[in-house]
Amino acid sequence: MRRAMGWLGVLAAGILGLAPLAGAETGVTDDTILVGTSQSFSGPLVFPGTEEVAGMEAYLEYVNANGGIHGRKIKWKWYDDGYKPQNAVANMKRLVEQDKVFAVLINQGTSPVLAVVPYLEQKKVPLFFPFQGSSRLHGKKYVFTSYTYYDTQTQIVTRWLLEKKGFERIGIIYQDDAYGKFFLGTLKKELEAKGLTVAAAESVKRGATDVSPQVAKMAAAGLDACLLALVPGPGAQVLKEAAKIGWKKTKLISSGPLTDEKFLILSGGVGEGVWGLSLWPDPVNSPLPAMKEYRDILKKYRPGHEPNRYNLYGYFYTKLFCDGLEAAGRNLTRDGLIAAMESMGRRENGIINPASFGPDDHQAQDDGFMVEVQGGRFVPISGWLAVRNGKLVETPLQR
Amino acid sequence: MTWAWRVLLWAGGAAGLWWLKGTLGLFVVNLLLVYVVVAVGLNVLMGFTGQISAGHAGFLAVGAYVAALVGQHAPGLGVGWALLAAGTVSAVLGVVIGLPALRLAGFYIAMATLAFGVVVSEAILQLDAWTGGADGMYVLAPTWFGVSLETDEQKFWLVLAVAVLTVVTASNLARSKVGRALTALRESGVAAECVGISTPFYRTLAFVVSAFYTGMAGALFAYVVSYISPDAFSIELSIDFVAMVILGGMGSIGGSILGAALLTVLDQYLAAFQDFRALIFGLAVVVCMIALPNGLQGLFRAAGARLRG
Repeated sequence: MRRAMGWLGVLAAGILGLAPLAGAETGVTDDTILVGTSQSFSGPLVFPGTEEVAGMEAYLEYVNANGGIHGRKIKWKWYDDGYKPQNAVANMKRLVEQDKVFAVLINQGTSPVLAVVPYLEQKKVPLFFPFQGSSRLHGKKYVFTSYTYYDTQTQIVTRWLLEKKGFERIGIIYQDDAYGKFFLGTLKKELEAKGLTVAAAESVKRGATDVSPQVAKMAAAGLDACLLALVPGPGAQVLKEAAKIGWKKTKLISSGPLTDEKFLILSGGVGEGVWGLSLWPDPVNSPLPAMKEYRDILKKYRPGHEPNRYNLYGYFYTKLFCDGLEAAGRNLTRDGLIAAMESMGRRENGIINPASFGPDDHQAQDDGFMVEVQGGRFVPISGWLAVRNGKLVETPLQR
Repeated sequence: MTWAWRVLLWAGGAAGLWWLKGTLGLFVVNLLLVYVVVAVGLNVLMGFTGQISAGHAGFLAVGAYVAALVGQHAPGLGVGWALLAAGTVSAVLGVVIGLPALRLAGFYIAMATLAFGVVVSEAILQLDAWTGGADGMYVLAPTWFGVSLETDEQKFWLVLAVAVLTVVTASNLARSKVGRALTALRESGVAAECVGISTPFYRTLAFVVSAFYTGMAGALFAYVVSYISPDAFSIELSIDFVAMVILGGMGSIGGSILGAALLTVLDQYLAAFQDFRALIFGLAVVVCMIALPNGLQGLFRAAGARLRG
């Protein structure tokens, strides 16, 4: 019966003249695949935006120089949205309706990403690995997300502190907006589950330059650890202030994207001993072969860009996207690519733990490892940490 | 202006929009028409009475959030009522800003309104139980007598209707007693007072009318984009609005339309230039300001005068 239906399908396709067009998916020709994105080439996130794009372009040029994927070169179209949602929507409609891209790759930021997702879902255009960590994109058929959600990150850090370090008095300095409150809320929930409370919490306004009152209060609170849910500027300010008043008893812990080299540079060398949850190996110093390859490819194709977490992100997730294209085969369609991604299985990448997707799981990474700043670098002090089935699990790092 | 000229202008406008739909898409046409409503509304304040507002993105945000909340909590309500609600709330805030602004002159008004724009953004972030804070909120499609306006085409007709209505009412306002009173105030407050024009009343009125138009535009903005967050209503956008009015020509409604059209098309077209977008955009605006002191309408006027000999 099934076979008969299959033959019927082939016959119907032949009659409709579709057979020679098999694989004639939007944005795919005999020798090219067109991808696009809307990114921050201007606006508040211009540095992460342009660096992500540098990593993406470096890898795509590398792929094209090595013959492309199944005989197809990858072409791209990028537009600037300046972190404005209205411009992100305009760009996305232009990419889908006029440029006719096959898929959208790595856009950035909560507002510009959330603004375009309903449209892409409606048009059935897949969106791969937007740079953002809110779990609101969970469970969308045409969206694949990238790194560990911010709430999961906080969960991992809190549990590690409680279970592995025996800490009890944990506080937080958070940015006074939805972003910061989100970390505060997750911390509260985690501690309450263990019968504890947030020992002290202080908020900092966005873009604040003076954080001395908050630091003074936290220093007096007798904490074991203090999370910093801040952006690099005020985050570095906290480290400087702590060094100034000699606040050493409490472990300071950077949260989310704050665990970044830029934060250390801004703090001017007073960050020694700070902990954080890292999602990546050290982009500049990691001796892993796959990391060396990344630095070589970046240097060859985008020589103006020093290795950092943002172009590593662009590079790594473009590579993962290309792995998906490879697995989808020569007969490339959007739904085919999604199916291929979902059934790709665990595949070693040499940089982070293997990403594996399924029909109900479109998230690439759900773990991280603790690092400590030693000699101006983030040095690992734990294995890979994840919360699976409600339990903190630790697995060894790649060597 | 003769009838022939007028027909030609409207035809030219329609052709321009058609071209734009083909190159940048209907969404950009809709956005452009929303900005036309804002620029014409801002012109009532800036062009007619000479009060510069550097915070109109704030009024736009207020209108947008009102429309989004109306859509969420009273989904059956028609689009006309939603627009009216957005305009009214914004107009009430216009009174709140307009009254203290009476004591200020020139650049001090600009500073006060700039602060207003910042306060609105901050308020949206703080009221996150209603507004979704930095995560923003999705906006339901408006309904017109039970029909949901979902597509860009349907939204186009809505936005076009409001834009035309705005242009017509603002032109009539300019030619009315109120319009002449506002212009008199701009030229000389003392002279205007001498002939019995109440400065506080008319200056506040200008704020209210301008805020009403911009609030309505905010509702349209929310419908067109379908998602709003504080990132959409930055100070940059407020400055763009001021640039639209100045570039078009202060006090000229035709100029405001041209200014809004030029800046929107330029901004959207330059998106493809990635890193160079901000640079080219800034340079283009500076060059226009230097080359066209009376704005685009001044250019057209000069050309018309030359044609007539």
